[in-house]
Amino acid sequence: MLKHLFKLIWNKKRQNFLLMTEILVSFMVIFAVFSLLVNYYMNYRKPMGFEYDRVWSVEYRPGVSFKTKDSLVVFYDNLRNKLNGMPEIEGITFVSDNSPFTANTRQSNVDYKKQHARSVNWYDADSGYPNTMKVKVLEGRWFGKQDDAATVKPVVINQQLRNELFGAGKALGERIGEEQRFRVVGVVNDIKDKGDFSSPGNGMYQRLDTSNLGWVNKLLVRVSAKADPAFESRLYRAMSNSFKNSNIDINHLTAKLEDINKQTLIPMIILLIVAGFLIINVALGLFGVLWYNINSRRSEIGLRRAIGATGKNVSAQLVTESVILATISLVIGSFFAAQFPLLNVFDLQSGVYVTAILLSVVFIYLLILACSLYPGKQAAAIYPAIALHEE
Amino acid sequence: MLKNYFKIAIAVLRRRKFFTFISLFGISFTLTILMVLTAFIDKVGNSKYPDKNRDRSLYIVQLEERGEKNGYTSRGPSSYYFLNKYAGSLKTPVKVGISSMFNFSSAYVNDKKIAINFKYTNADYWDIAEYDFLEGKPFSKVQVDQAAKVAVISEDTRTAYFGANQHALGKYVEVDNIRYKVVGVVKNVPITMFTFYGDMYLPYTLSKEDYRSKALGGSYTAVLMAASASDVPKMAAEYATAVSKIKVESKDYDKLYSFADPYFTGFVRIVLGRGSDSGITTFYLGLFIFVVLFLMLPAINLVNVNITRIMERSSEIGVRKAFGASSKTLVYQFVVENIILTLLGGVIGIGFSLLAIAFVNASNVIPNLELTLNYLVLLYSLVVCLFFGLLSGVYPAWRMSRLNVVTALKAR
Repeated sequence: MLKHLFKLIWNKKRQNFLLMTEILVSFMVIFAVFSLLVNYYMNYRKPMGFEYDRVWSVEYRPGVSFKTKDSLVVFYDNLRNKLNGMPEIEGITFVSDNSPFTANTRQSNVDYKKQHARSVNWYDADSGYPNTMKVKVLEGRWFGKQDDAATVKPVVINQQLRNELFGAGKALGERIGEEQRFRVVGVVNDIKDKGDFSSPGNGMYQRLDTSNLGWVNKLLVRVSAKADPAFESRLYRAMSNSFKNSNIDINHLTAKLEDINKQTLIPMIILLIVAGFLIINVALGLFGVLWYNINSRRSEIGLRRAIGATGKNVSAQLVTESVILATISLVIGSFFAAQFPLLNVFDLQSGVYVTAILLSVVFIYLLILACSLYPGKQAAAIYPAIALHEE
Repeated sequence: MLKNYFKIAIAVLRRRKFFTFISLFGISFTLTILMVLTAFIDKVGNSKYPDKNRDRSLYIVQLEERGEKNGYTSRGPSSYYFLNKYAGSLKTPVKVGISSMFNFSSAYVNDKKIAINFKYTNADYWDIAEYDFLEGKPFSKVQVDQAAKVAVISEDTRTAYFGANQHALGKYVEVDNIRYKVVGVVKNVPITMFTFYGDMYLPYTLSKEDYRSKALGGSYTAVLMAASASDVPKMAAEYATAVSKIKVESKDYDKLYSFADPYFTGFVRIVLGRGSDSGITTFYLGLFIFVVLFLMLPAINLVNVNITRIMERSSEIGVRKAFGASSKTLVYQFVVENIILTLLGGVIGIGFSLLAIAFVNASNVIPNLELTLNYLVLLYSLVVCLFFGLLSGVYPAWRMSRLNVVTALKAR
């Protein structure tokens, strides 16, 4: 039976070739769209890792420069006391520019013995960070006063980096980085600091102390539920009194999250609309061609009916023919698609590609079935007497 | 005769409504996507407001320092000092406008936050960028030199700060505890015009960062305006010579790249530029590949549907041949049919494009970005559609028209 169908397809190879090309190209388009969707969805399912709904970011630019370390310490201690004295403020931390939901990144590689971790995000933060962001310290501890005297710079790493560098082994106390400059003192959970659809990358936190506090332009503030717009403008005034020569900008992380999600969502929606229309286009085209093919094969079908094939047989034959066409295209298409995980083209997990290939295959089969079922049914309704009489 | 072909074409299109619909849908939809895409690129890369003198201007948007030994790179806007010293001393430009990239700040009115993106400029900037002033005028060179606390604000800022349609001239805006006197109000600029966008324009002498600092990198970009468009290549060459003479005095870096580019090249350089390569070739190649891939699917579909249509009409061709029509006449008829189909698709496509563009403008995805149709691209796209239509419709028809009458008639 199958052999016979292949022969039928081969006899019309020129026309079928065009159909197959069309299915193949559609498959590649669908595959690209599904890869993106699956990737975003998998990221979306992961937990955010911190609480952002009552956190504000306060930027002051340019920062302040100090002649001596002592004046810097006094200035920042005073500022901390002033802010912590406000009843609406539950926690503050100074941070580097790559704070949550901004477009800024700061990355480099981190080594541990033979292990080599790429694209590690470097964050700067001070001792108030866990309390402000509500991240969980999973092993060891966060930075504190005891680090003042440390000779080797203490760092806290996130769980992903921990797994990549140390696997199941011990992380606390190990020396990492170029010339073993850093000592791991703690491990915190991963955070999705580039929005709902981003993947939490490797992360490493450095302590902000007197040596680098002068470079900082930003702090995060956790406020209580009572904080209202009036408090925001009070905070603004307090900040601009402290930073006489800076521009102050206060943003709510909830608003920043919305912005950064939009940067992912808008291109995705545009892509979906375009792909959707392309597929409708292709579906209509396929439907038309299959329908015409069946109409032009009326005499053949009539003959088959006359020598005993049932209506079901006929429609099954036509549908199977289309499915075989699709299968040939899909085998070729999957071969190309499989190169993406094998060559690791866009640095996505191979699970994303495999899921995307499976989804696209199912999608194309459904499309083909939808386009060939009605023409097949119509063919089944052909009466042998009428069809043969026409001839 | 042409009129007859026209009638036949319409009759044929109406006879097979479903196929006609598929073809029209494919053509018009593909056109719509292309039109919206090009409208966007056109607006971002080619908008004429506010720099109406773009054809005789060059833009210095990026400064790149490289250390070949240790692999350091630093990329970003330049400092005021750098631009003033090297671009400001050129002979060819008649004006050199220097302005900072926009900075974020905010003002509070009745405890409500107003986000204000402000921008520092020199006085020449206002002669190059011809903003439409709703009120007042730009600040003068004297005011810049005296570091007067004056500001030009955008229409959006005026609405947010003073209320809709209120006059702002002579009133004060308070930002970061400093009061600025409003001397002018300009029409809004979309953020995609990154060298000209801002909500509030201030004299650079008010900048809180020290504009006298001798660092090369900073937050400023420059626009050089020549006397005429023909002087532009000379201006670019003069700047390149000036930059090549700079000695890099830094322990980390040994190479310096800075170019005076046409607007769009400058735009692409920020994203794709590396060293002396502006990345414009990469950009066009990428765009070309995308458009070809995108067009492939509808084109194959169109060819497929068209071939099917023609096969269906083999008996018609047979009959016409039997009555003495020549191959030429037949091909001519199919050409006319295809042109009509493509034009119809084109008209519908323009309709859809206008709707889509109106929708994008109304949704305000990017504030103040008003998209418009690009007629040149529309023409090109129609030509492409026509090409595929002819390839898929006329070629099989021509082959069939050369068949023997008997075979053609029998093919039914």
